[in-house]
Amino acid sequence: MGNVLVLAEHRQGALRDVSFEMLAVAPKIAEELGGEAVVLLMGSGMDDMAKKMTGYGLKVMVVDDPAFENFNAEKYQMALSALLDDLKPSVLMVGHTAQGVDFMPALAVEKKLPLVADVVELAFEDGTLKATRQLYSGKVNAVVAFKPADTFLVTFREGAVEAPEASAAGDVEKLDSPLKEEVPYRKFVEYVEAEVGDVDITQSDILVAIGRGLKEDKNLPMVEELATAIKADIAGSRAATDAGWIPHDRQVGTSGKAVKPKLYIAMGISGAFQHLAGMKGAKTIVAINKDPEAPIFTVADYAIVDDMFKVLPKLTEKLKELK
Amino acid sequence: MKTFVCIKYVPDTSEAEVKLNPDGLTVDDSRFSFDINDADNYAVEESVIIKEAQGGEVTVLSIGPKKSEVMIRMAMAKGCDKAVRIEDDRIAAHDPLMVAKVLAGGLKDQEFDLVLTGCMANDDWHMSTGVALAEELGVNHASMVNKVEILDGKVKVNRELEGGLMEVVEVDLPAVLTIQTGINEPRYAPIRGIRQAQKKELNVVSLDDMGIDAAAVNADASQVVLEKLYIPEVESSAEFIEGEPDEKAEKLASILQKGGLV
Amino acid sequence: MQTFTEKYDLLGCIQCGRCTGGCPVTVRADLNVRQFVNDAYDEDKLEELAKLAEIWDCTACHTCAVRCPKGLKPLEVLIGLRTMIVESGKVEPTVRDALQSVLLEGNPWEKSRATRSDWMEGLDVRIADPDEPVENLFFVCCTIAYDPRVRAVAQNMVKLLNKAGVDYAFLPEDESCCGSEVLTLGEEGLFEMQVEDNTEYLNEFKAERIVTLSPHCFTTYKTHYPDLKTPVVHYTQLLVDLLNDGKLSWKGELPKKIVYHDPCYLGKQGGIYDEPRELLKSIPGAELVEFERRRERSLCCEGGGGKMWVESESKKERLSDTRIKDAKELGAEIVAVACPFCVLTLEDSMKGLGYEEEMRVAEIMELLGELMET
Repeated sequence: MGNVLVLAEHRQGALRDVSFEMLAVAPKIAEELGGEAVVLLMGSGMDDMAKKMTGYGLKVMVVDDPAFENFNAEKYQMALSALLDDLKPSVLMVGHTAQGVDFMPALAVEKKLPLVADVVELAFEDGTLKATRQLYSGKVNAVVAFKPADTFLVTFREGAVEAPEASAAGDVEKLDSPLKEEVPYRKFVEYVEAEVGDVDITQSDILVAIGRGLKEDKNLPMVEELATAIKADIAGSRAATDAGWIPHDRQVGTSGKAVKPKLYIAMGISGAFQHLAGMKGAKTIVAINKDPEAPIFTVADYAIVDDMFKVLPKLTEKLKELK
Repeated sequence: MKTFVCIKYVPDTSEAEVKLNPDGLTVDDSRFSFDINDADNYAVEESVIIKEAQGGEVTVLSIGPKKSEVMIRMAMAKGCDKAVRIEDDRIAAHDPLMVAKVLAGGLKDQEFDLVLTGCMANDDWHMSTGVALAEELGVNHASMVNKVEILDGKVKVNRELEGGLMEVVEVDLPAVLTIQTGINEPRYAPIRGIRQAQKKELNVVSLDDMGIDAAAVNADASQVVLEKLYIPEVESSAEFIEGEPDEKAEKLASILQKGGLV
Repeated sequence: MQTFTEKYDLLGCIQCGRCTGGCPVTVRADLNVRQFVNDAYDEDKLEELAKLAEIWDCTACHTCAVRCPKGLKPLEVLIGLRTMIVESGKVEPTVRDALQSVLLEGNPWEKSRATRSDWMEGLDVRIADPDEPVENLFFVCCTIAYDPRVRAVAQNMVKLLNKAGVDYAFLPEDESCCGSEVLTLGEEGLFEMQVEDNTEYLNEFKAERIVTLSPHCFTTYKTHYPDLKTPVVHYTQLLVDLLNDGKLSWKGELPKKIVYHDPCYLGKQGGIYDEPRELLKSIPGAELVEFERRRERSLCCEGGGGKMWVESESKKERLSDTRIKDAKELGAEIVAVACPFCVLTLEDSMKGLGYEEEMRVAEIMELLGELMET
């Protein structure tokens, strides 16, 4: 068939960014295959979301079944297994997200299909589909080639590419639910918000973010002093949360919050991709880190390669003076 | 409760410069320190916490070289009871689906209620092995778990989603859980504990010992080929502020102030 | 099984209180070492005692041991209690990571062993070889090897030795931590292993003396390594000999008021008080002043006793802050030390107090390095 099937991800009634981002890649791959990119939406009460997904000139297939009201890996695997048999796409693209990683490897094993996970680039080269992914804290890229297979499975990294501009409307095609039986083993219970503290960092204008480089909590007051001086809120990386330096609701990144402040000062944060993904919306990014190779510098507007503790006191002092 | 915990020995590349070997397919790890993979360390702790609360036994399962045994002994010092180390250079380590097949071979004919593993390895970032392993074993799973509650015949877990949201699900046992960092506070393995752990059973096995056909898990069996590694060019548009630490701080302060950013 | 009382000789204690009376930490935190010695008689109470946060406040400065009329080391009780916690595995993550790093990489700073000798880059360093006898075998110390702030201690030493034509060699990167902080953090088993391994390693070399750059390594080797064949000295001792032999000469001068801070591990524990002062006095133009609390009574900087990895729960003034304020009152422009930990703690306080413009904290080797004729 040569089609590229893109599974659109949604949660609590809203489509996730990665669903749109994959549309920047899928049509090109489909063209090489002589097929088309097709969006697949599975959920319950999908009319609004289907309308949004049709805005990219692609066909949108919708499975509307109350059984899909909430994500369930077992149901997704069962449904996609049946749909792969029916639709025979050449590529299945799913977001490399908490949903995607929860069923794609199992689907690959069940269907004996190749999977490349956490892909940041996908392209054909000499007739072979090749995926680029990152290793070793993002310091090394790997090119992985698919051997011939009925369907290539890909989980695509959120934030790796920009979503395309909306274009002409595509058609909506309703599919019968491929889910024929109750899934016996896994039960969705509920969503719970991580504890919310007094500050909502997604609303902050200025964030001072700390990472592993803080070393220990006794160093926190130095950071707090800077934050107070410039009326910033304190946020941090996963390392900072794990260490208990900041509460979980101050964590920036894929497992925390996505923030979009005017100014983001990252100190002692190397910039794991999971972190970068959460702060790329910041308008101006300042990074202070002693490792000149730290990936945080790839997104920074202003960079200082140095020990944060050597720079911080003077920075606070100067900013206080300049006010 | 019978638990297996799958762990991996990985280099710490967070601060170091990474260089490639001439083969273009591996990195030069001669200057790195090695330790248990971060998330796997939390998985070990969770397995021991579960054992302490529920009784039972924890077995470590790891694919890795001889030098990784120190990591295995440390897990045993923390409370794991026995271990199997798989060493075989024919395994297609670049493909988590092949790795999962090997681990599944290690669990074949074994009784278990739970298999824990880290949700991601620091070196290759696939986030695939645990979920693939569950399918190989034909059991349930939940990934990215940051809270575990053992119920009667099932387990209730919190899965960590994007945006600080948790998804609470129940899965029937036996099950594979991939553990997220931060779920607990891993304990220290004191050297006396490590010494005592030398007496615990650690079996070293090859694919042949496990009755796994190498042709099913080697590079030929894998449906993906690792073509090459390369060091990405750092695309930085950043303005690097130079000077002594104090000068850097002063320059930055004035940039921020002049730019109306503070 | 030896009881706690037997192990630490608690019965010898007459509860005179000289230990607590002299303990510098009493003004900083709620630590009463005499009380601990008293309470530790009761074996049933040990577990409760071990849970008290203040057992981690001891800096292992050894003032209590110096003052004890019965020759006991009251601090050992606290370390013994720490051992109970360490062996349960439930230590602070910072302590856990430091200890684990010693086991896996031979240093407490979570650095790769392979990079231990990176400080030598660009220097003409003679590397020790077990087959080549050498007069002075240098042991660098983990902190000096890895922390860029104090690396100059080793780097300047190399330049000075080359210049003075001294027969020396530095250990290669398989040099491992001496265990000073492992011992005081209470990881008894790991320390025993280090003593065994380091003794075997160091005994392979044929040297007249081992020269340590850090007083922590110095005291640890001297006190806790009974089977080490080679005598151990601190670098200030060697340099004073070189000075007296006319092998060291300085160019220019340093017309500054310098106060010398006695590191606990060099003074109270190592008995070295005069050599660092002699070196400072040799600096042309320098004026050496003295703290009121000096030599045996020197105020601890709180860098020892594993405190680089444990933060005190008490928010009272840090002893290093007190020390820097004292230096300020003396009008000292340079606080000179001979210990990497003292550099880090005192400089931290100096910066925190905002004295950067008028004061400097420096290791003696940093000052000498600047005065060396090249």
